[in-house]
Amino acid sequence: MSNIELSQIDRTVIGADGGVPSQGGDTSRASANRLGARGLQLLSWLAPVLLVIVWEWLAQAGWLSPQVLPAPSKVMRTAFKLATTGTLLNDLGVSLLRAAAGFTIGAAVGAGLGILVGFSRIAEAAIDRSVQMIRAIPFLAALPLVIVWLGVGEAEKIFLVALGVTFPIYINTVLGIRQVDPKLIELGRVQGLGAIQLIRRIILPGALPSILTGVRYALATAWLALVVAETIGAQSGIGFLAMDAREFLRTDVIVLTIVIYALIGVAADGIARFLERRLLAWHPNYGAAR
Amino acid sequence: MNVHVAPLSPTSFESGPAVVVSNLMRSYGSRVVIEKLNLRIERGEFVALLGESGCGKTTLLRALAGLDSIQGGRIVAPRRPAVVFQEHRLLPWDSLWRNVSLGLQIPNARERAAEALTEVGLGDRLDDWPRNLSGGQAQRVALARALVQQPELLLLDEPFAALDALTRIRMHELVRELVANHQPGVLLVTHDVDEAIALADRILVMRNGAIAFEHRAARDGSTPISRAELLGELGVMSHSPS
Repeated sequence: MSNIELSQIDRTVIGADGGVPSQGGDTSRASANRLGARGLQLLSWLAPVLLVIVWEWLAQAGWLSPQVLPAPSKVMRTAFKLATTGTLLNDLGVSLLRAAAGFTIGAAVGAGLGILVGFSRIAEAAIDRSVQMIRAIPFLAALPLVIVWLGVGEAEKIFLVALGVTFPIYINTVLGIRQVDPKLIELGRVQGLGAIQLIRRIILPGALPSILTGVRYALATAWLALVVAETIGAQSGIGFLAMDAREFLRTDVIVLTIVIYALIGVAADGIARFLERRLLAWHPNYGAAR
Repeated sequence: MNVHVAPLSPTSFESGPAVVVSNLMRSYGSRVVIEKLNLRIERGEFVALLGESGCGKTTLLRALAGLDSIQGGRIVAPRRPAVVFQEHRLLPWDSLWRNVSLGLQIPNARERAAEALTEVGLGDRLDDWPRNLSGGQAQRVALARALVQQPELLLLDEPFAALDALTRIRMHELVRELVANHQPGVLLVTHDVDEAIALADRILVMRNGAIAFEHRAARDGSTPISRAELLGELGVMSHSPS
């Protein structure tokens, strides 16, 4: 993995200078790297593809009971059937909506508190210890309490997601603001920036890499929170689909929901990476390099 | 706040001093770093400030820049001085023109930044990132960022110390040219004796928080100061035959 990234960085550095490298050796090395990277990438996909093929073969041959693990082809057929005649798309939409709502609320609270604490020592003294103490609780342990408060409905699910999202965003926002190079802040003062300009031009851009790391963690926790929340007393959503299927021992549907959760997790990570590439184009570790 | 940065009367605006420092006092706790320091820099005058580490020369520059408070005395400057630090301090997330126009409150900031970047020979790199610059190029952008503010006082805090010898010589030429064009008063803090001789109209040596030696070069260079003499003032024994 790191090899692939390194060779891609090489390539963009050569591209960024705009010109053809003066030494011919550089170009050939770059193309060799490119070939090598492609080969490595193919290789990295080989194992998972093989695994699926073996799985399919075992299922077809009857070595794997469909009650235990249905064949991948069966899962795909189920997916198609549920999408066309069933409620799969609706359930998927409901789940995504819950995740989005919870994430938005949690991110707003986390970033708001983080900015407050990052800028003000007084706010830090007033807020930070409490937040850190709440953070020490694995947020899923709060689930029974949340159910007592809010019942098993939409509010409970969104609340749980928001709870999981708040802390990674909060911590990384505070960290990011605190880690901004004091020399750059000093420069801002020398250039005559006011407080708002200083925040807009120097502190927030400087904190952004850390904040986006928080976003990435938060997306993962949001997903975990959603799975747990939907497993308990949901009337719709991917989790409901899974629990409903459990009643009827429909392992194909259960496997399908697991795969969907995984795919959405991958998509969420892709979104985070996309944001990093767009917003941190200036940063040598992000930007065009990935 | 003990810093008094008061505007001078408009009549003295044209050819008045870039900064007047009187009886400056600066201390960290009980340790006095600058004591009763007086200094006047005219507009268009290039002053180099030499001194060994810890003599208070950077402290003086920071006080003039308004970055540190002072415990006594007065600093009178017509407007906010511009500073170039030893590190370029470019914002890595902003393009070069955005860096140069940082703090400019004018509508055509990009044009002005473009002019300034052209002056330092980087007019074709407006939208480039700082990370694609060499050390010397980055420091040239920092110079453009300082000069675009049209300062009456330009403070240079060892801006060439981290550059290689050849780049440094080119930077000397560039700075001399820029100062001639813009006519700010300049205070260059350095520990490089040759740099001071090459650039300055007036050389000051600071010792124990006060100015201990002053040499004023004639404009035609008729009263040169020798390297050995300056090194002597800095407390370095010169082994060259005299």
